[in-house]
Amino acid sequence: MSVVSRRVALQVLATGGLGAVAAGTRARASDSEANPKPRADAVSMLFDSTVCTGCKACVVACTDANNLPPDTKMSGGIWQMPVELNSETKNIIRLYKDPAKPENFAFVKQQCMHCLDPGCVAACPFHALHKGEKGVVAWDGSLCIGCRYCEVACPFDIPKFEWEHFNPKIVKCEFCNHRLKEGLEPGCTTVCPTGAVIFGKREDLLAKAKERIAQEPNRYYEKRVYGEKDAGGTQVLYLAGVSFKSLGLPDVPQSSIAHYATYAHRMLYRWMLLPLAIYAVLAAVLRRRWKEHSIAAAREEAATGLKDQL
Amino acid sequence: MNASGQMRVNVWQRGVAIYDARLMTKSMYGLIGLALIGFTIAALRMYMGLGKFSGMTDVYAWGIWKTFNVMTLTALGSGGLSVGIATWVFNRTRLHVVMRTAMVTSLILYTTGLIGILVDIGRPWNAYWLLMPWKWNMHSAMLEIMVCMPLYAFVFLAFENVPTVLGRIEYFGRQATRERLRRWTPWLRAIYPYMVAGAYLLPIMHQSSLGALMLAAGPKVHPLWQSQLLPLLYVLQAGICGFAFVIVALLTSCAYWSRPLDREVLGELGASMGILTLVWAVLRIVDVAVRGQIATALSLDFFSILFLSEFLLTLVPAVILLAPEARSDPRTLFHMTMLILIAGMAYRFIPTTVAYQPGAATFYFPSVAELFIAIGLISLAIIGYLVAVTCFGVLPAPASEWYELAEYWRRAAPSRKLNEHGYPVDD
Repeated sequence: MSVVSRRVALQVLATGGLGAVAAGTRARASDSEANPKPRADAVSMLFDSTVCTGCKACVVACTDANNLPPDTKMSGGIWQMPVELNSETKNIIRLYKDPAKPENFAFVKQQCMHCLDPGCVAACPFHALHKGEKGVVAWDGSLCIGCRYCEVACPFDIPKFEWEHFNPKIVKCEFCNHRLKEGLEPGCTTVCPTGAVIFGKREDLLAKAKERIAQEPNRYYEKRVYGEKDAGGTQVLYLAGVSFKSLGLPDVPQSSIAHYATYAHRMLYRWMLLPLAIYAVLAAVLRRRWKEHSIAAAREEAATGLKDQL
Repeated sequence: MNASGQMRVNVWQRGVAIYDARLMTKSMYGLIGLALIGFTIAALRMYMGLGKFSGMTDVYAWGIWKTFNVMTLTALGSGGLSVGIATWVFNRTRLHVVMRTAMVTSLILYTTGLIGILVDIGRPWNAYWLLMPWKWNMHSAMLEIMVCMPLYAFVFLAFENVPTVLGRIEYFGRQATRERLRRWTPWLRAIYPYMVAGAYLLPIMHQSSLGALMLAAGPKVHPLWQSQLLPLLYVLQAGICGFAFVIVALLTSCAYWSRPLDREVLGELGASMGILTLVWAVLRIVDVAVRGQIATALSLDFFSILFLSEFLLTLVPAVILLAPEARSDPRTLFHMTMLILIAGMAYRFIPTTVAYQPGAATFYFPSVAELFIAIGLISLAIIGYLVAVTCFGVLPAPASEWYELAEYWRRAAPSRKLNEHGYPVDD
């Protein structure tokens, strides 16, 4: 009996092993996920820091378009003055000053980057955050349990949580999804007076950004488009006359963080083969041990009168 | 125990309740008070939002309820997994006698951890999606944990603890109840090995997923901790902490209630823990080396010192415990195990909070209310443990203790009829 069960266990183990190899092969075949391709209809925003005057019209437009309460904490309730993205602010303009030469400064616009393969979407347990039409990363409150894993998983620290509310929402730029559906542009790109932020299809804007660098290479400090490959690529693209890092755009891997985060998980749980194999081995071993234990316990009880304790 | 009924002292033979201990002591009232304070604040938090009751921010979105009460303390509650695998799978039959301690501490720490999650999540009423697999994100480690952890605690781990409860019912229950139990027993014994196999598979799954959680934080976690091996290192560390916590619980309980120590069993636990710790340490250092972080590890900045102390506090005690003389001395065993336990908890906690460095220059420290809720949960765990060891046959003892228990009841309740082996006689 024990020989048979050992053979069964070995067979199960071997099958599990083959499954794992097969899973590995499949994963290698679809390795593109580390460098995700944008979908054909992917919308995009191109922000050129060298054009931005810091007028913050886009901040107000965003609040209007999304029916958000203006954040007036800094100004003592007088005017809208958000200092950072928060649960009332999906879009903000920030100032960078060169610490050595304060006359050198630049503005940066901060909102959700709409990654091609977003960390938040991979992390979210119930697809409350999902990549929807046109590649927009949107939030569905009916599925959200408020675990805030999206905040941990976002390399850009974008999703914000309503800490003061008993029924809190996750707040972040959703590319004015409701306006896109009506054929309108997002609030921020509609109002920008200098064209520092423009709206379009990702492939068009990426080409346009590269063209600008080619035409005026000295205007752009890093001579590359932030968001083309960063974090596996994002749908919001940046050009800047200073280093991206100084503007608060972090040094992130040039491949998808979601891919990195879920790689082990996808390998280990493919078709549930590995867990099933582990269970089969454990169950086979335990069945045998249980028989041995029952015999030993019965012998013990016969000898001492003390019953088996499990 | 020999066939003749002759008893050896200092050999653990069965779990026997601390029947002569007073449960409602002053410290018990203190613990109940702390638990009540914690739960009152938790109730207010449900009504008034998380912001006022915690030091969490959008930058540090996870506080100690998740990172300590769940990610760290359920590692301590993994004795049911690691002692269980040593006992049943690796056939260390001497360890059967400490299994109840392991399973009870696991159940208690998992239960309080799960209450912690419930207090922590912002929209707990949406948790019913857990019952609808077609809504699951199968790639999310968080989903895996949320499905797997309650399933383990309330089905498989609870099942493992059923015999302990049945033992009490058999001892104190009415005749009819006992007869009904006897009808269920064969059924329970038939599924036992299959349920226990599940009770080992599930914690392997979710304890590794707890490590996988931090993979999503990517570059936000310091490179000395961020690694694709996090899931493996986390589950191994859970096994180590499980052994360590069972050893510490046994040693402190036996000292407190003057129970004799079984050096052989404790040594066996220490040896298993030591071996597992060495495996972990080799993987940990090889992982750091392969990722080219040795220079970072030796740079002696804050994180390097943190890493080195965490690593050496794990490795050195494990090496010391390789010597049988060290393991069989309860004092050395206790001190070395405490070091391993502290370092193990540090390894589980650091990547979530200390080595978690988001972009914004800000800082997380739990607020007073947050600490009170965490302390309330820990108090509840201690209350649970005290109730378990005084009311159920959990803590291991020589068989003589079992007969003394019978003597105690013959004196305290002469109407109870117990046979010569200390079991109630059928009417």
